[in-house]
Amino acid sequence: MIRRLAPWIALGAVVTVTLAVVVWPDGGDPSPRARARALAEEFRCPECQGLSVADSSAPTARAMRADIRERIAAGQSDEEIRQSMVDRFGESVLLRPQGGGIGFVVWGLPVIAVVLGAGGLAYALWRWRRQPAAHATAADEALVERARS
Amino acid sequence: MRAALGVFALAVGTSAAVIGIATLGLGLSRGDERLLRTGRRYVFVILGAAVLAVAAMEWALLTHDFSIEYVAENNARSTPLLFTITGLWAALEGSILLWALVLGGYLAFMARRFRDRATDPLVAWATITGLVVALFFFVLMLGPANPFTTLPSPPADGAGPNPLLQNHPLMAFHPPMLYLGYVGFTVPFAFAIAALVTGRFGEGWLADTRRATLVAWGFLTAGILLGAWWSYEVLGWGGYWAWDPVENASLLPWLTGTAFIHSVIVQERRGMLRVWNLSLVIATFCLTILGTFLTRSGVIDSVHSFTQSAIGPMLLGFLGFVAAVGVGLIAWRGDRLRAPGRIDSPVSRESAFLANNLLFAGLALVVLLGTVYPLLAEALQGRRLSVGEPYFDRMTTPIGIGLLFLMAAAPALPWRATSGEVLRRRLLVPAWAGAVVMAVAVALGARELAQVLTFGLAAFALTGIARQFWLGARAHGVVRAVRSNPRLYGGLVVHVGVVLIAVALAASSSYSTKREVRLREDESASVGRYTVTYLGSDVDRSDQKTTVSTRVRIRRGGDDLGVYEPAISTFPNSTQGIGTPSVRTGVREDVYLTLVSSPNQRGRITLGVAVNPMVLWLWIGGGVMALGTLLALAPSRKLWRRPPPTVGDLRRQDVEAREPEPV
Amino acid sequence: MRHTARWAALGVGVVVAGLAVVLALQVSDAERQSRPRSELLGDPAPEFTVETMAGEEISLASVRGRAVIVNFWNSWCTPCKQEEPALREFYERHRDEADFLMLGIVRDDEEKPARQAVADRGLEWPMGLDPGDKAALDFGTRGQPETFAITPGGLVAGVQYGPATVGDLEEMLAAARGQA
Repeated sequence: MIRRLAPWIALGAVVTVTLAVVVWPDGGDPSPRARARALAEEFRCPECQGLSVADSSAPTARAMRADIRERIAAGQSDEEIRQSMVDRFGESVLLRPQGGGIGFVVWGLPVIAVVLGAGGLAYALWRWRRQPAAHATAADEALVERARS
Repeated sequence: MRAALGVFALAVGTSAAVIGIATLGLGLSRGDERLLRTGRRYVFVILGAAVLAVAAMEWALLTHDFSIEYVAENNARSTPLLFTITGLWAALEGSILLWALVLGGYLAFMARRFRDRATDPLVAWATITGLVVALFFFVLMLGPANPFTTLPSPPADGAGPNPLLQNHPLMAFHPPMLYLGYVGFTVPFAFAIAALVTGRFGEGWLADTRRATLVAWGFLTAGILLGAWWSYEVLGWGGYWAWDPVENASLLPWLTGTAFIHSVIVQERRGMLRVWNLSLVIATFCLTILGTFLTRSGVIDSVHSFTQSAIGPMLLGFLGFVAAVGVGLIAWRGDRLRAPGRIDSPVSRESAFLANNLLFAGLALVVLLGTVYPLLAEALQGRRLSVGEPYFDRMTTPIGIGLLFLMAAAPALPWRATSGEVLRRRLLVPAWAGAVVMAVAVALGARELAQVLTFGLAAFALTGIARQFWLGARAHGVVRAVRSNPRLYGGLVVHVGVVLIAVALAASSSYSTKREVRLREDESASVGRYTVTYLGSDVDRSDQKTTVSTRVRIRRGGDDLGVYEPAISTFPNSTQGIGTPSVRTGVREDVYLTLVSSPNQRGRITLGVAVNPMVLWLWIGGGVMALGTLLALAPSRKLWRRPPPTVGDLRRQDVEAREPEPV
Repeated sequence: MRHTARWAALGVGVVVAGLAVVLALQVSDAERQSRPRSELLGDPAPEFTVETMAGEEISLASVRGRAVIVNFWNSWCTPCKQEEPALREFYERHRDEADFLMLGIVRDDEEKPARQAVADRGLEWPMGLDPGDKAALDFGTRGQPETFAITPGGLVAGVQYGPATVGDLEEMLAAARGQA
């Protein structure tokens, strides 16, 4: 049996190792540039139609990108920078809705729905396995042949 | 005169709908076949009325009849011919007219296709449902969304269409394509309602509407991809999908529609999932209504547009009515629909389809919630919130990867049940292909989990599909194999297109580079492998717009790739400046140029240069999907050659599925 | 569970009905019209610093004790040109008051055209230059013209998006002086 499973086990091993390499945290914090870019992608450019600050060429977006860079250089945390933007432009400047309270609707509900759905499916499958399968008898087949002719 | 003609046509359409419904209703209650046969004819009257109304509007547009308010708002004397014609769908009222036209077409097709079954109550109820929907749209046009309202003192010149809509001839195709998709779902919807009402919820209605559903789905897919293409090539912000409420609105019915296409296969084969399928198609229809109005009336971006007219409440009312009817019918009939079927094994194609539906439903829920959340938050807590790419990417990527996995594995799974041996033979090689590709990608430096998984699963899927084609070719020759089962092979081709799109999405979202450079004439800058040189600029003034265009040469290594011309246009009737990007499309990557600011006092421009990998493959993938859809629509030769399978045949197929295939 | 379909359908119906109610409420609430609210209203004004075209440096600290009207504008925006007469009239009325300051700040424009516009159109109140649009960012501006009223104690008492009339400006000044 191991012989039959051998190719699968080897496959599993290759995949696991590959994925481990991908998710292994590379040492050190993200560079300031990477942080600036990540933060810029989280803010909506206030004078554009839904573009992020990272994508937009509008003057406000440019000023915001410069502001983010300055604040990172000044040692502010991501949360502090987010708060400074919210203070000036309101909550609608955040493209990633905050998690607490009503935020559960967007973050929690879909996950719960999919999990429940998967659970329901699993339950249904289990229930079906326990039912004896219906098999057509010879009488049934004769009935069908007669109906077909 | 034209307005009067238009209103007349609308009135004719409305009356035809009412009379048609009454006739059919009477025919059904009395069992009168003649009434049923007459009733269906009113569908053709509606089509004629819609054609007449559209003709009246086009006539008004082409003659610049500014006494009609719609023409005054969406057309100007200086508007070029193509955009005058496409002005029909430039704004809400006209696009409802277009909807009515397409609906008339589909209903007429439905009436003609089922003319031999005109006296079948199923068909009659489906026609009634279609007529009710048509009635709603005609009443909407006679009421708050009247495209033919006249102005007491017509202006000398109109306002012209929104500058964004004048920028590219693609505007001619994107909305009609979308509407051919949206409206097409009315046909399976009408039959679903008919099936619920008549209690004939067997597979008849599915088989009857299979082609219409596939056609609608195909057009919707094309419409969405065209929209993405337009966003990328014309709008100039550098991307193809912004998770904008309008885009999401078109995606929602596509998601439920795709789930439906897959789960009907389970219903055909095993008679299961009937209630689920009925719910899916009703939901898809509701979402198409929601979709077009979100797009046209800006419900979410600015809720206040509702207060200006009664369209909003009427729309909500209709949506609520349809949802209530659908929910009510299912609650009433639903439990009688439960099929005695069962799924034999969790590792079977049926299970894979069930999982597919679960994931698509999850995806639809995410998109719906994300789009509606700002409204909810404002209504319940008075907060102004945004939901954008960070949220949608985070939530949809895992589901997308799950779907990619299913797409790769499911075609290899047999129906009903399988053995380890069959799985090994069918899946091992493709799975190894995927693993190898993943390892190679990581070895070459890829470090983003989603991208690596996408590449691996893409290889998995493509290898599996290639294997199916190879098996079919080996047994019967490619052409005969495909012709004997165009549905299967068409589906596989569509999956190839999906894989291409998935890979393109993964590559372009992770590995794009973007820079802004400030250049004086003859100065160059380098971005990635490319060097861009600013050659000079030109100003072109015309009645319609003033365009500042720049000439930029792109070089790669020693090769001169040509001169490209990003530009900015300003229109006389608006202060907006609209940028036109210039894109060098390449097989491997695009070079995307935007003019961020035109030459300043010192002759310096700011040029946006982005290098986007594999974007071309999005459009190629779309083309492949279209081809696959056409293939899946082709009639199967099997039908004409061999008699339908007998019970003995079916049993033999089941047994074969469980045994290893002959080598 | 018996009658699964019925319960599921009714559940879905309730959710859809709820959504419809939410949407319908939004529709009927006419007050929720376009006016975007400023986040800064009632908060301390941002610590800005600009150098005027005359070379003087003005900062939040330096204007403490005066009611300040800050107007973001530039040389090319059409609504800015529209509100100019109102700004001029308003300035004429109050320029001699000791506890009043009107400060224009250039937003999204180059220095040369801005200076040119000031000279051509005869705008006499102090004009601040804001390279990099930092003050514009600190005030949370999304475009121009935008006008802010700051109390002598340094709080934001009024915000106007879009072109202002003389009446608007008078209201804002009254709010800044605590006479609303």
